[in-house]
Amino acid sequence: MAHLVLGYPSLAESLHTAEAYINAGVEILEVQIPFSHPTADGPVITLACQEAVAQGISMQDCIEAIRALRARFPMQEIMVMSYVNRIYAYGFQRFVTEMKAEGVQHLIVPDLPVDLSSALGSADATVKFVPVLAANTSDARLEKLLNMGFDFFYLMSDFKITGSGFSLHPRLQAIVAKIKSRPMPPRIGIGFGISTPAQARLVLEEADVAIIGSALIQAQKAGKLEEYLESLQDVFQA
Amino acid sequence: MIMDLTATRYRDLILDSKGGFGTPNPQPYGGSYIPEVLLPGLQEIAAAFDHFKYDAGFLADFSDTLRTFSGRPTAFTPLPRLTEAIGGAQIFLKNEGLNHTGAHKITHCIGQILLAQRLGKQRIIAETGAGQHGYATAAVCARFGLDCTVYMGKKDYERQRPNVYWMELLGTKVVAVEEGSQTLNDAVIAAFKDWVANPDSYYLLGSAVGPHPYPAMNTFFQKIVGEEIRQQCEETTGRLPDYCVACVGGGSNAMGMFFDFLDEETVQLIGVEAGGRGTKPGEHAAKVKRGKKGIFEGYHSYFLQDEDGNIAATHSVSAGLDYCGVSPILAFLADEGRVQFETASDEAALAAVKKLAQLEGIIPALESAHAFAYAFELAAELPKDKIVVVNASGRGEKDLFITMRHFQEDSLIAYAQHLLQK
Repeated sequence: MAHLVLGYPSLAESLHTAEAYINAGVEILEVQIPFSHPTADGPVITLACQEAVAQGISMQDCIEAIRALRARFPMQEIMVMSYVNRIYAYGFQRFVTEMKAEGVQHLIVPDLPVDLSSALGSADATVKFVPVLAANTSDARLEKLLNMGFDFFYLMSDFKITGSGFSLHPRLQAIVAKIKSRPMPPRIGIGFGISTPAQARLVLEEADVAIIGSALIQAQKAGKLEEYLESLQDVFQA
Repeated sequence: MIMDLTATRYRDLILDSKGGFGTPNPQPYGGSYIPEVLLPGLQEIAAAFDHFKYDAGFLADFSDTLRTFSGRPTAFTPLPRLTEAIGGAQIFLKNEGLNHTGAHKITHCIGQILLAQRLGKQRIIAETGAGQHGYATAAVCARFGLDCTVYMGKKDYERQRPNVYWMELLGTKVVAVEEGSQTLNDAVIAAFKDWVANPDSYYLLGSAVGPHPYPAMNTFFQKIVGEEIRQQCEETTGRLPDYCVACVGGGSNAMGMFFDFLDEETVQLIGVEAGGRGTKPGEHAAKVKRGKKGIFEGYHSYFLQDEDGNIAATHSVSAGLDYCGVSPILAFLADEGRVQFETASDEAALAAVKKLAQLEGIIPALESAHAFAYAFELAAELPKDKIVVVNASGRGEKDLFITMRHFQEDSLIAYAQHLLQK
């Protein structure tokens, strides 16, 4: 799964970036709605968000960008990530309806505990929220979330913010095993701090999906996005 | 919705809330809107708070530390010369500035450090705006022997340099946050990020904001302010105040003052927000008066934000009020009409500092000066038998370089030059 911030460095360029990801063969495109204060992100994504916000990217702009991507790539799996206040300002139900119309099946809202997603008026069986868990999630909590029918679990590689060095917390294996022990196991993605192909391969030994964000933005900033995507080719094939 | 008017309605509602306040759509104010990784840490603190708020040993320890370390009870002071000059209601002041470290903040710091100690925590994380909460946190950490890291927006770091120095002298690591608008909410975010990376630390949040249990917990610790006012006002005047006035940044001093009077219908409660230098976005920090509902930094409340839900810049001459959100409990009480909200401008606050200093010999913090600025207007319109109590949440020494620049810029420059020549 490859992450980008809509509107960074501009709306048109972020759409080109998405195309580059998809053409390189990423399985899932993760599109982040920019927010002024991304509370769980590291400096790279925070800066990208703030630059996008400074251009006045509205929710309508974001939805139209997703629509354009959908039109171009009808079969591409797209997950949308947003902090909760942008969705709140737009209206939860309205947002979920729009996402459904664009064939987005997963929403990642890092500051919204997934249990609350339906209470906020966003219940829709075809658009699922993605629990973002770390190694300190208790067994009872994991059990509860598994019973709630979420079909994609996003695991934080370790206790850190995005883009801040790579390590895999030893307890993740147990969490992965518990999720995989289900009869119809949800997919598992692992992210936070993955930057090299070797790290991505290591993650794929545990998870179905390796998630790369900050490293892509840094490569793009350095004008080396194509080279970087090329270096990940065997990961995409895996 | 028809409310059940029992004697302790609001007080019980708030302390037994489990973090949700009122019934705005689609969810109550407050809540716990945080990344899942922080959930175990918050649940641990919430469970400890639920247990220890009824624990006689803990409460005795809390009140003992308030007395021996912070100097409680703080004075309740009649202001006869000011009252005469204004010519209306009688004005009294609750002097929270007499607390150790100079403001009410130390009270919830003592409460939380005792909780952290019982949880066996070794390291404390905190954010600070004016530096008062950071300074108080640094002091309790030194006193109880815990490591402490305080995050402070770079703008605040620069304008509240004396407090940075005090924190560092107390052995705390102070981190200037360069992201965003470099004020309190950037410090809160940096502190949360530290907590994500270090989930075994204790996050000692410094206002009645943030995810559950902080709004209710800090209110619980701070409610002693109102309890003392009740007793002192009855001793001094034979009755309860007619008006209680407090400044509102996040809301900890206001909740501390108001809580004990929430179910007293005769006591009017007034929160004064920072009117800054105008009513346009970025010129003020008046959340209840000019913000809209949102979810940010872990809680549902009023926030200053744009149409798209991006958090807006704020401004106030006082760093402690220069914040985008407000306590979810105050949002609830504002909707209920139980707490009235007003604003006071930068200029009015500065004028209030001078007036209180010259007529009563008390220099209030710029934050608290907002409450005085409004209270002076209010008192002038009221008959002489009314009683107005103002919470002087902090003392003004920390604002030396800001007020001096305003009142005596030439002496400030001369002094700076003198220091440089040495």
